[in-house]
Amino acid sequence: MKKSKFSLLLVLTLVLSMFLAACSGGDKKDEAATDNDSDAKGSELAETQEITVLESAEIPSMDSVLAEDTVGFTMINNVNEGLFRLDQEQNAVPALSDGEPTVSEDGTVYTFKLRDAKWSNGDTVTAHDFVYAWQRAIGQETASFYGPYIMSGVIKNAVQVNAGELDVNQLGVEALSDNELKVTLEKPVPYFTALMAFPTFYPQNQKFVEEKGADYAKNAENLIFNGPFKMTKWDGVAATEWTLEKNEEYWDAENVTLTKINYNTSKDPQAAANAFEAGQADVTPKLSTPAVISQYEGDPRLVTWLEPTEFWLKLNQENEALANKNIRFAISLAFDKDALVNDILQNGSLAANYAVPAGFVKHPETGEDFREANGDMNTFDAEKAKEYWTKGLAELGVDKLELNFLGGDTETSKTVDAFLKDQLQNNLPGLTINLESVPFSVRLDREDTQDYDILHAGWGPDYPDPMTYSDLWLTGGGHNKMSYSSAKYDELVKSAQGELAAKPAERFEALQEAEKVLFEDAALAPTYQRASNVLVSDKLEGFTYHIFGPEYSWKYAKLNK
Amino acid sequence: MIKYIGQRVIYMIITLFLIASMTFFLMKLIPGTPFKNQAKMSDEQLEMMLDHYKLDEPVPVQYVAYMTNLVKGDLGTSYQFANTPVSELLGARIGASALLGFQALLVGTVFGIILGVIGALKQNTWIDYGTTFIAVIGKSIPSFVFAGLLQYYVGVKLGWFPVAFWKGPEYTVMPTIALAMFPIAIAARFMRTEMVEVLGSDYITLARAKGANYFEIAFKHALRNALIPVITVLGPLAVSLMTGSLVIEKIFSVPGLGEQFVKSVQVNDYSVIMATTLLFAFLFIVVILIVDILYGLIDPRIRLAGGKK
Amino acid sequence: MAQFDEKISKDQFEPAIIDASTSERISKPSLNYWQDAWLRVRKNKGAIVSLVVIGFLIIMALIGPSLSKFDSNKQNTKHANLPPRIEALENISWLPFDGTRTLKNGNVVNPYEQKQIEEYYWFGTDALGRDQFSRVWKGTQISLYIAFLAAFIDMVIGVTFGAVSGYFGGRVDNIMQRIIEVLSGIPNLVIVILMIIVLKPGIISITVALTITGWVSMARVIRAQVLKLKNQEFVLASRTLGASHAKIIFKHLLPNLAGVIIINTMFSIPNAIFFEAFLSFIGLGLQDPLASLGTLIDEGFRAMIAFPYQMLVPAIVISVVMIAFNMIADGLRDALDPKMRD
Repeated sequence: MKKSKFSLLLVLTLVLSMFLAACSGGDKKDEAATDNDSDAKGSELAETQEITVLESAEIPSMDSVLAEDTVGFTMINNVNEGLFRLDQEQNAVPALSDGEPTVSEDGTVYTFKLRDAKWSNGDTVTAHDFVYAWQRAIGQETASFYGPYIMSGVIKNAVQVNAGELDVNQLGVEALSDNELKVTLEKPVPYFTALMAFPTFYPQNQKFVEEKGADYAKNAENLIFNGPFKMTKWDGVAATEWTLEKNEEYWDAENVTLTKINYNTSKDPQAAANAFEAGQADVTPKLSTPAVISQYEGDPRLVTWLEPTEFWLKLNQENEALANKNIRFAISLAFDKDALVNDILQNGSLAANYAVPAGFVKHPETGEDFREANGDMNTFDAEKAKEYWTKGLAELGVDKLELNFLGGDTETSKTVDAFLKDQLQNNLPGLTINLESVPFSVRLDREDTQDYDILHAGWGPDYPDPMTYSDLWLTGGGHNKMSYSSAKYDELVKSAQGELAAKPAERFEALQEAEKVLFEDAALAPTYQRASNVLVSDKLEGFTYHIFGPEYSWKYAKLNK
Repeated sequence: MIKYIGQRVIYMIITLFLIASMTFFLMKLIPGTPFKNQAKMSDEQLEMMLDHYKLDEPVPVQYVAYMTNLVKGDLGTSYQFANTPVSELLGARIGASALLGFQALLVGTVFGIILGVIGALKQNTWIDYGTTFIAVIGKSIPSFVFAGLLQYYVGVKLGWFPVAFWKGPEYTVMPTIALAMFPIAIAARFMRTEMVEVLGSDYITLARAKGANYFEIAFKHALRNALIPVITVLGPLAVSLMTGSLVIEKIFSVPGLGEQFVKSVQVNDYSVIMATTLLFAFLFIVVILIVDILYGLIDPRIRLAGGKK
Repeated sequence: MAQFDEKISKDQFEPAIIDASTSERISKPSLNYWQDAWLRVRKNKGAIVSLVVIGFLIIMALIGPSLSKFDSNKQNTKHANLPPRIEALENISWLPFDGTRTLKNGNVVNPYEQKQIEEYYWFGTDALGRDQFSRVWKGTQISLYIAFLAAFIDMVIGVTFGAVSGYFGGRVDNIMQRIIEVLSGIPNLVIVILMIIVLKPGIISITVALTITGWVSMARVIRAQVLKLKNQEFVLASRTLGASHAKIIFKHLLPNLAGVIIINTMFSIPNAIFFEAFLSFIGLGLQDPLASLGTLIDEGFRAMIAFPYQMLVPAIVISVVMIAFNMIADGLRDALDPKMRD
């Protein structure tokens, strides 16, 4: 009896505390509301430059050589800095590099002069810090993914060092002095300075890293910073909230306005939007659900931008039917992409009628977008699709086909794939599509073993160069995985990789030519190019997103009244 | 008693061993690797990574290694969170889940008992039907449907409580309520049945015949005896909270184990999946054991199954 | 008070005729177990209403998809995300069937008029322009199918296991009990999730995953009952007369277990519905074009604020199904469980 009395008391206290807490919660909300009203006063800076940002995931790693996801990259980009940094217009501008580097005549040797910058422990950032980080990233024992991936074929000897054939000292990076860094490349790389804004190439303080050993980058206490912000609170990878604060030691600190950024994770788009509405957040994660986005149509707080990420149907030519060009043509023309982006995705995505996305790279001389010259290459056309289909079926000597369709298991991919299936079946009489929605890792595995007929997959680039898209479809290429093979395509892309490397304009045009070949063969059936949507408080000015590598830079942001 | 507990502990260990083995082999049946950037890896790099994490060894070898480490208390390292020991991950997450589960259990049983007692005392009146109906609804409406509605109407529309996150007591209110619905329902139903039975027993009739006050009877005699069997449902309830937490934590952005488990399942983070499964199983078995022992201690009439021999 | 004063004269008494035949007469008609149970169920209004509701839902699940002129899988993206509109009810403003929806800023719009759509979608449409009415009933059909199938398999395995274990006792019982002990230590949901990842999501694999641990509670109850029954006189008599084990189990024990089996099965149906919906909700449910109530709720949940009806309709249906099954199960338990007899 005593026990139950006690627990009753406990519950009463609990309930009471809930109500008290609820009241204080309500007060906070009222304050936020009055803040909104005073918005009309104009863009005066708010007194407290503090914002709350939602991320859709935790930080898997803060070690710049191990990080391999956007949240990690974004955080590292805000608390650390490399030779270059992405600005508000997506251009790479010198950061730790004191002005543009000197480049050798053949374009393979870059010499950077470093500006005077400090680590948060007072050490100076030196050229040795770069050498240390890069060697660490490529070394086998680190088992970094991005190090070998992004350095191979770019930095001299990266492949051999990673394979253990050469010593890490043989990697093409060298400290000429404390503030001079020499980088030797395998071949001229037109986008090399943009790569320098990628977190894998950021410096690391050897002394600090080695002193901390296994604890390095475990939590905020075991991190060191040289960027616009410092991470002041982060309990490690399982933490769902963390805090960045302005780094007063940063060389460009006078141009950093925000003083504090609070991070929280919210994995459900609707919950994130709810929190935003309730004034608990200034920036939401990318909202993927059409129904959530459509509520904010025309709302200035909804920020939409086109990503260079593209999705397509891969047609596995190991399948006899799909080895037939007419069948491939029929499939690639048979679904209404406009309906897909306008009625289903409704998030600003574009119907993709091309293999290299729009708004991604520009012609080095004319400055025209990659798409200008090539335009739309396979627009939806049900009539023509049917024609190809009949022809293809006749060639195969069958009157119906059954194909399996491998798609993702996220809500968006399930909806999109159900639509594509319906379109294909309706527009191509006699076609039966068996849709399978599988988790990402399973899809990768089955792509790898080519255990599919049609696969809905996508690609997002890590650096601004059309080659990241073009080399996907080389014969036997590591990412081809659909048995597409064209001598003409190979020749064009290989020439761009080889002899044209020093001639940017011709190289660019060769890749545009290659794209045409791809569509003459109907190798691929692109679906859409993705757009991102986030909700950003109307008081936050200078919100800066990036289309590759890290997602956001808070260096340029400020909070108005 | 001690013999009985010893016996149960041995079964516990066998069960855990079987679960560990089963999970391990199930994991090995799942195609794919835990590397999120596998699409960008070249074949050589993939091989290197598999080698680094010893995932290219024959399954039996991996199994023996895994079991050996497990016995030593090493749960392995996570793949999605670069090289972090799984024990650290679980340690960081268990607090929120435990707090949420405890609050929900407390709120659920207390309110459930109150509802059940009211229902029994006002047997066959509209109050009784009302409480019964609440119990049926609580048991029937899936927790995630209820949580979604709660979040939208109470959190967003009314703005009474924060809609998500985990920063203080007020943040726990809505997930606790959402999670407590089921325990309330179960406890209320059980309590009502027991209470009705006890109220109909001879000693209550005697007490009434002696002219004792109705409420005194209800609380002094009936409640006390009806409460004992309620302990038996605590076990299943605690387990149901574990289940519920998988979605509730996601909906309310609670940094708990359930949320982490669901995510790890989606990204093939083998070591985290296996460790979480084992932890869930362990808690499950321990809770059931404790309930059985408690029950035996409280009510000597009940002979424990093992005591028969 | 006056009555007490009145004297009753002897001649007012009359000897009763003791007729042996009438004294043995049973005034009420003789009822067997089931008739008796039915009488008690009938008194439980909630159970009766639930029975009618379930009957209605089952009929709708079977014929509902064909009542609407739209096929449950026919997409029409031009008609995506329409709110519900029903012919006769559209002018009754307090009913949510007028084809309008409220935007975030409070404005009420009628997408039917905006898009000049003549058709009536009774429950509205989903993101792909599929008719929610036929999808909801199709989903109910599949959810019920999975639930009945899972409950049936649970029943078969559970009863067999429990009966064998309890009847033979001794070593057999000991081993079988240990198996149950181990199995019941497994958190079922976790195992169900793991099973679904390994098997491809589909009706059969979900059912199999649900039954892996689902039968244990049935087996336990049956074993307890059998232990109680097997030493009763009628079983002993039968055994003495040389009846085989199979005959005793099927002829004598099972009929006496029927009540317990039915109660347990009735409780495992809503359980299975819940687990299926739960799996769908965490993204491990059925694949398109199959839809269950769970997958519909999952889809609707994401669009809850913009298009609440997409979630509300299947959520209401699943809640009604669950409530009704639980009430029926309660009613049956009260009726069939001798302990609760009034």
